[in-house]
Amino acid sequence: MMLQTLSMEKAMPLGDMLFIIFAFLVLMVVLKHFAWGPLTKVLDERADKINSDLDGAEKKNKDAQSLFDQREKELAAGKEQASQLISAAKKTAKEQSDSLIQAANDQVAGMRKTAEQDADSMKVEAMNTAKKDVAGLSVNIASKLIQKELSEDDQRALIDAYLAELGQQ
Amino acid sequence: MDEPTSTFSLLGLTFTWTTVVSTLLAMTIVVLLAVGLTRKVAIRPSRGQNVIEYVLDFVRGILGDQLPGNLARSLGLYAFTLFLFLVVSNEMGLLLQVKTGADVTLIKSPTADPLIAFTLAIMSLMIAHGTGVKVLGFGGYLKNMFFKPYAAMFPLNVVEQITNFLTLALRLFGNIFAGELMLNLLAQLAFSLNGFGWIAALPLEMAWQAFSLLIGGIQAYVFVMLTAVFTAQLSGQE
Repeated sequence: MMLQTLSMEKAMPLGDMLFIIFAFLVLMVVLKHFAWGPLTKVLDERADKINSDLDGAEKKNKDAQSLFDQREKELAAGKEQASQLISAAKKTAKEQSDSLIQAANDQVAGMRKTAEQDADSMKVEAMNTAKKDVAGLSVNIASKLIQKELSEDDQRALIDAYLAELGQQ
Repeated sequence: MDEPTSTFSLLGLTFTWTTVVSTLLAMTIVVLLAVGLTRKVAIRPSRGQNVIEYVLDFVRGILGDQLPGNLARSLGLYAFTLFLFLVVSNEMGLLLQVKTGADVTLIKSPTADPLIAFTLAIMSLMIAHGTGVKVLGFGGYLKNMFFKPYAAMFPLNVVEQITNFLTLALRLFGNIFAGELMLNLLAQLAFSLNGFGWIAALPLEMAWQAFSLLIGGIQAYVFVMLTAVFTAQLSGQE
């Protein structure tokens, strides 16, 4: 009996084989649904994400570089502009100060000239006045001398008195 | 192989309890593993997802080494299922062997059964041959299989196809069956010698179990790799 069962099994294991194949196919379907499908999907998604992240990072890097270059250029231009402004301002200031100094010099020279002229005219006037006074005095002294015959002492006293009078004036 | 078996009949076909129960148990474990490790699939993987993603990458690597991209992709699901089933099947008998009162083995490694190993080999070769026909057309497939590199090689090529099939199945079966046989012998030793046999048997059993774990993983890898190699050969991808 046992031997017969065994030999039948050996001769016709079709049932077991079909069972194994069928069970394996079912297992494949189950695994596809629970493991293979979700896993391959998520692996693809991850690969896509990594790719897009890398691309995005590259693009951002490039953008940042171009922005940096642009800023650098702008900065250089700004510096150039600033130095131009400063030198222009310096030039203007120098011109202004030069013209101011020039004007001041001119004014001073004019004032000095006027003062000299004033002094000259005053001097001449004083001389004229003095001349007039001396002439008057001389006439006075002469008239006094002529009016009175005087001794030498009297003459001396007279001149001294006159000089004292003159000094008091 | 000459163990007593217990069978049942359904729709005129005979089924062996050992085969049915062991296979179903192994597949249940595979499904539980796969479902448990992929409960929350996310772009940023959790620890469980990392484990099964590693397995998936490993299988894809085996296929990618042998096959061009499109064939590797179309074989992916089959190889993934095959690998998980083989790993679980090969290791299952190391932990669990159940016998009924009548000394009929109910649960052991499914792949220690030559019938299951042969069936898996037949499936792999069917896929390999089918891929060959799909890629080369039927005439090109025959020519590639039998008349390469030249027609005089025909007899050797026929022999090669047969040995491919036999080695694929027998390598798997032989390794796992021998591993379990050795474990059983060591277990018998443990209960002999007036109850002191376990002193010698325990370290031997531990060492052999570790070795068998390694063998089981290697055989699963080899089986999937040979499937990929045969597919590549039969579709002219060498």
